[in-house]
Amino acid sequence: MATADTWQPAPSMPPPRTETGWIGWARANLFGNWLSGLVTVVTVPLILWAVWRMVSWVIGPADWTLIASRPQQFLIGLYPTEYAWRPLTGWLLVSILFGMAAAMWGGAARRIALGYGIITVLLGVLPYGLFHEGVVMPWWVRAFILGNLLTLALGYGLGSNPKTAKPRTFVLGGVGIYVLLLLILIGIPGMEEVAPRKWGGLMLNLILAVSGIFFAFPIGVLLALGRRSNLPVVKVLCVVFIEVFRGVPLITLLFMSQVLVPLALPANFPVDSVTRAAIVITLFSAAYTAENIRGGLQGLHPGQAEAARALGLPGWQVTMLIQLPQAIRNVIPAIVGQFIALFKDTSLVYIVGMLDILEMGRSIVQGNVQFADNARELFIFVAAVFWVFTYTMSFVSRRVERHLGVGQR
Amino acid sequence: MRLSLTYQGIPIWRHSRVLSWTAQIVSGILVVAAVAFFISNIASAMDSRDIPFNWTFLNREYSTPISETLLPYEESDTFAYAFLVAATNTLMVSVVGVILATTLGIIVGAVQLSGNWVISKVATVFVEVFRNVPLLVQLFFWYILLLGLPSVQQGGIVLFDAVYLNNNAGLSFPWPEGQQLPGVWLLCVAASIAVGLVARVLLDRRETRTGQPSYPWLGAIGVVFAGAVVAWIVWIVIGNAPFVMSVPHPEGRFGHPEGGYSISIELTALLVGLIIYTSAFIAEIVRGGLQSVSRGQSEASRSLGLGTMQTLRFVTFPQALRVIVPPLISQYLNLTKNSSLALAIGYADLTSVAKTMTQTAPAVTIFLIIMGIYLLYSLTYSLIGNLYNRHIQFTGG
Repeated sequence: MATADTWQPAPSMPPPRTETGWIGWARANLFGNWLSGLVTVVTVPLILWAVWRMVSWVIGPADWTLIASRPQQFLIGLYPTEYAWRPLTGWLLVSILFGMAAAMWGGAARRIALGYGIITVLLGVLPYGLFHEGVVMPWWVRAFILGNLLTLALGYGLGSNPKTAKPRTFVLGGVGIYVLLLLILIGIPGMEEVAPRKWGGLMLNLILAVSGIFFAFPIGVLLALGRRSNLPVVKVLCVVFIEVFRGVPLITLLFMSQVLVPLALPANFPVDSVTRAAIVITLFSAAYTAENIRGGLQGLHPGQAEAARALGLPGWQVTMLIQLPQAIRNVIPAIVGQFIALFKDTSLVYIVGMLDILEMGRSIVQGNVQFADNARELFIFVAAVFWVFTYTMSFVSRRVERHLGVGQR
Repeated sequence: MRLSLTYQGIPIWRHSRVLSWTAQIVSGILVVAAVAFFISNIASAMDSRDIPFNWTFLNREYSTPISETLLPYEESDTFAYAFLVAATNTLMVSVVGVILATTLGIIVGAVQLSGNWVISKVATVFVEVFRNVPLLVQLFFWYILLLGLPSVQQGGIVLFDAVYLNNNAGLSFPWPEGQQLPGVWLLCVAASIAVGLVARVLLDRRETRTGQPSYPWLGAIGVVFAGAVVAWIVWIVIGNAPFVMSVPHPEGRFGHPEGGYSISIELTALLVGLIIYTSAFIAEIVRGGLQSVSRGQSEASRSLGLGTMQTLRFVTFPQALRVIVPPLISQYLNLTKNSSLALAIGYADLTSVAKTMTQTAPAVTIFLIIMGIYLLYSLTYSLIGNLYNRHIQFTGG
């Protein structure tokens, strides 16, 4: 019971209105001091003007017919039109993985699956010709594309079921689907074969990137371990491999693979230019990944390995269970950065004559007089496509990093 | 009963030394066998296609034009000299690119951390756009953009009456032009550099002794600069300047810019693309480095009475540098290697000249040479970088 002589603190006053809300925010972030205020006053109109110019160009003079009329070629290159159902089937299978990931991990994975679903619906219903100019897109193509929503839901169901929602199932399923996808694209025995050199478009970029990442990572781990090994012969071999692949531009290596590798292999050795390019990109990326992982291994306190040995773990267990998991966790940003670089580098396969999304577009511009002035639109479109993928990758990387608590102990 | 405790030894198949030697010998034999297999295949393939593996072609005339060169080049020059010319082109792109990309990258990285929300967001957008799009796409884009400029005949783009940019004659800008060998002037410059170094040492000592800021480096640079300028003015007064700034001006057919220094539209696009792409990565490195210095450092420095610039100069930046330098060097290597994309837009760098050479000379030899040159560049950058890195590390004192 408060009496008259008990001191009562006055209720605290709210902060002044100029320090909170959007006014306070603007005072702190836009007009912190006179220089900051000047910068704001000068740059904001400039930015608005630039954005206005860009937007008015995009919706005004820019001519996007090139992109709208040839989606098939941007997606699958010169893959025969009559077999277009094969990549479409592969796409259906991949959607299962997106659905599963969304259900199993939620958060970022769910947002990505949502964006993926929206893009799928847009591709399915927007009015454009998915086939060559003048050829009306058959109804079943749209049906296939919209079918992805069903497989997405199927994947979500699998991911929600505790029996199937295991990381191991997901990884094995992913590998299985990927192998199946490649088999369908080439043509399993009994189907007409479509040689990899006819693959193209965004599909080719994605296939090269996924196989590159899938193989570059384990090779990189082995190289990093080899480089740190006590065995002089193994060490020298790994150092030479890593330094040669890191010291030479990828474009030179690809070009070399085109000229030199056919000479180095026996005549009639069944390796086409796509596989050669894929191998070169993978090894190139593996050399960089190896250096990243080596950095992670060097950053580990030697006490970790010593403690593991003192507990009686054999050497391979010290490496596999103690050192590598911590090392890899610490260098996730660098490794993902390397994978982003790998995805960007898939645009270099034009040097071995492949029609990836960029080169496909360039050949359309060069081969059609009516599109001669549309190169600018083409490059902006291709840049946007690449950007969506690379930005998603770095977004996922940041999330995984936070989830694993990198930088915290 | 007597227990036998004699040590039996580790069985030979589990002995670590045996295992490690077996592993090494097996892997060594496998690699040697694979290499021998590839080399024998290459040898037989070259025999059957009549491409001899040798180095004699280096003394032959290259007799192919190289569109744009830093060194003087004629078609009658040898393959060896053409290699040198192409390697110099790559080196020039690399050095110019490194200097400008570092400058732009540091600015963008610092702006990302600025207190002003607007420009820090602009810098972030710059970084996220340019480092996430393949360099090849960016190069094609800049090239198309530059090709879309007005031509010389239409007037081109002129900045301050000194820089000319148009889609056929390329970029022309002012450049010092030597009238004669400025030997005596160079001697004067050398002398002022010596004086400058002495001044630096003296100012440094004064600063240590008195505690008054004496700006040793600023003083030294001032002395050198003043010496060079005074000598230059004296030479102009005498009547023959060591060099004059040659400013391009429209002349010749259709007003092609004459004078100054001109680079082709391809080289301009290559440099713009490389610089912007690399600077986005450098900006992230700089931002990460500055953020890695704990806040307590700058707070302590402020409470000791150092100003904002002094805190940055003496406390934050030297510590950030230790984090920044190693990845920065690898960006320099990347820039040098990425310059090989010149092939795609038609600038005659090392890779694109080598590609043309393979049509008239043995490819194996050419690849060995360009690999050697790129490795040389990489090692040089690494060496300089590592020396500098050692210089800025903690000395423990």
